[in-house]
Amino acid sequence: MSRPEQKKKLAIYTATGCRACEQGILDLNYEVNELGRFADPVFWPYVLGTPWEALSEGKVDVALFAGTIRTEADRQAALKLRESSELLVAVGACAAFGGLPGLANLADATEAKAGETTGSSSADGEGKPTLPRAEPQGLCLSQVVAVDYVVPGCPPTQNLLWAAVLALVCRGESPARLSYAAGRLPEAVAEAIAAGVLPRRGTTFAGEKAVCGSCSRIKEEKKFGICKRPYQEYQETGRCLLEQGLICQGVATQEGCGGICTGVGVPCRGCFGKAPAIFDPGAKMVGAISSTFDSKDAKEIAALVENFVDLAGTFYRYSLPSQCSLLATPDKG
Amino acid sequence: MSKVTLDALRWQDQPAQATITVNGGPPQVYFQITAPREVAAMCQGRPVEELPRILSILSPAHHLCAAQALDRLFGVEPPPVAQNMREALRLALFFRDHLRKFYFLVTSLENPFADFWSQDAQRGPHGLRSLLDDLMRHVSLAQEAAIILGGRADHPVTAVAGGVSRSLKEEHHARLAEIAAACRSCAERLGGFLREQVFPQGKILGEIRGLEAGPLTSLTLAPEPDGLVLRGAGGGEAERFGAATLFDKVGLHQETWSYEPFAFLKAKGWQDLGKVPADSLFFVGPLARLNNGQPLATPLAEDERQRLVEALGPFPRFEVVAAYWALLVELLGSAEGLVALCEVEKLSGPVLRTIPKAVGKEGHAALESPRGLIYHHFRTDERGLVVEAQVLDTATANNGLFGILAQRAVEASLARKEPWEETKKRIELSLLAY
Ligand code: SF4
Ligand code: SF4
Ligand code: SF4
Repeated sequence: MSRPEQKKKLAIYTATGCRACEQGILDLNYEVNELGRFADPVFWPYVLGTPWEALSEGKVDVALFAGTIRTEADRQAALKLRESSELLVAVGACAAFGGLPGLANLADATEAKAGETTGSSSADGEGKPTLPRAEPQGLCLSQVVAVDYVVPGCPPTQNLLWAAVLALVCRGESPARLSYAAGRLPEAVAEAIAAGVLPRRGTTFAGEKAVCGSCSRIKEEKKFGICKRPYQEYQETGRCLLEQGLICQGVATQEGCGGICTGVGVPCRGCFGKAPAIFDPGAKMVGAISSTFDSKDAKEIAALVENFVDLAGTFYRYSLPSQCSLLATPDKG
Repeated sequence: MSKVTLDALRWQDQPAQATITVNGGPPQVYFQITAPREVAAMCQGRPVEELPRILSILSPAHHLCAAQALDRLFGVEPPPVAQNMREALRLALFFRDHLRKFYFLVTSLENPFADFWSQDAQRGPHGLRSLLDDLMRHVSLAQEAAIILGGRADHPVTAVAGGVSRSLKEEHHARLAEIAAACRSCAERLGGFLREQVFPQGKILGEIRGLEAGPLTSLTLAPEPDGLVLRGAGGGEAERFGAATLFDKVGLHQETWSYEPFAFLKAKGWQDLGKVPADSLFFVGPLARLNNGQPLATPLAEDERQRLVEALGPFPRFEVVAAYWALLVELLGSAEGLVALCEVEKLSGPVLRTIPKAVGKEGHAALESPRGLIYHHFRTDERGLVVEAQVLDTATANNGLFGILAQRAVEASLARKEPWEETKKRIELSLLAY
């Protein structure tokens, strides 16, 4: 009944984002009821209220980091967790690519006035506390520190999150658990896991191809003549949304979610990040749309232009910082 | 002058800390949100129909509120099945959010991860391990219901302009009914535990006994469509107004030491935090909703509401214990509501959405979310691209309340000469109830 020496030390943290990623990790403990068997969350401010000092008590095995880097405090958190952890995992679209908070990079004015006006360390005359300074723009984790693994999604699906935790935290322990993880991952990753070794650094815990590969919709290889926006009429089930004239990013997005959104009748917006073979999701989408659009009718062409709006905010919905950052420092990994 | 920062506060949706300064006199407490939420900037320039997906970063209920604002903006009425599916999702989110709060409340006594392998810990020093498992299993079930109804539980996707994007299958109907019944039983079991061990002078919640934030004005939805009610601190109705005028009544004040603005009543003007009575502030949420003193439609929730009144006295109430009790009342009510709604006829129909005929220019909606009233107001250009998105989230609405609670928790703690660790716990437990 006592195997504490085998327990891996976990750190879990969210910078600027929401709590859904962290709650997903907490839920795992109950959905499968055994996180506590092989892992000891030694640093988890959200759930356990752990102070930063706890990190000085020895190295953490795996740190799961969610959220965008938006403030100086987020940056410091990333640096501290990198320094004190064996493996650093970017969990969720925010940490992986910049996520929804990174969309604010597109706006002309930001709301981050409070932090910008007070700064991080300037003493306030009245003894009022200060705020961590806002970064000039939102960044993904790998733009600040080297990242070992990525679990994409906003939030990640529970099965891939679990597969990642099993592969990284419980390596070499239980063949049954490992085969669960392996069954959900690309072959090369699965082989590493089955052999009890770590998957290649930089591995993304997701599928190999694009969302289209696992999408339940039917591609008829038919071209569309009218470009539509999602508030307009289209078939909720059946035909491929792109072939119906909607912008669906499944073509350019990494598989892994199983086509959750397209399965319930709405187009993919790319929360799993770009598919491995793609350099730029925006360019891929423009290509996909122009090769699927077919019309010589001047009105239909005008409608395409009319409905083809906010391309940056759509194609880079979850990945603006990682794809379009001018100020970001290069990946140190 | 001495200064202490309690960082990071547990269970908060945003990174939060409390900074306490003492300068001879009484302590001054600052409840600080240390990261920005730039939702207006995230929405600006987006096609307006994308906002339900983007604004769900605030909480999943914002997905539903934004979809309602789209209904108005596009001038379309969702068919009944779509309205029922959205309402069922809203109730599932209520159940999940409230239950998670009780889970956190129990973990304040017992670290759910500690000593997994020791014999004792299987039951835990307080025998609470099985209760924690039960609560979280039902959080998962409510989550599964939300996934069926919303496509995803967090960041849902199915509420679209004029309706919903998916129809339910036979197996979904059966599963939803099963989940709803299980959630209702779980809420009843939890009610038994709370009444026996917590609401009386039990070992849980000892820290916040006697703590209260009031008296405060409350803001809730009115019974009539698209109306809001401000209820004065004494319980009487102060004002009713159309939701569209919310930002005429409510202002946002920015302090240099928090990224989250403070909502206040424009009629009273911004007054410094700490002023007593805090009559320019208001609050939203379960307790604010119960403060209307009206009987509830479902029997288990109404019985619980009566028990609250018997134990604590008539509404309005402002104690933190009453806020926890209000969570239980709504937990029961949301499970009962789900049971009633998860019937095949209510969740099926041939038409899922009303297709908009034209792009509108302006739309708003107010919705009661698990944490309280939320509000959206969108303005668009002629192509339906967002020019302005105004949002009131519960974190902004209750920011002043949180400041008051943190201040009072610290004062109570200092009076007892408690270590800072206890002070922090006292603050966390106070805020968790809202
Ligand atoms: S990736 Fe999505 S779910 Fe995760 S923290 Fe960011 S916004 Fe939240
Ligand atoms: S483009 Fe979208 S709808 Fe079409 S197959 Fe790919 S993911 Fe599915
Ligand atoms: S379909 Fe696209 S947007 Fe939806 S969960 Fe999958 S990757 Fe994310």
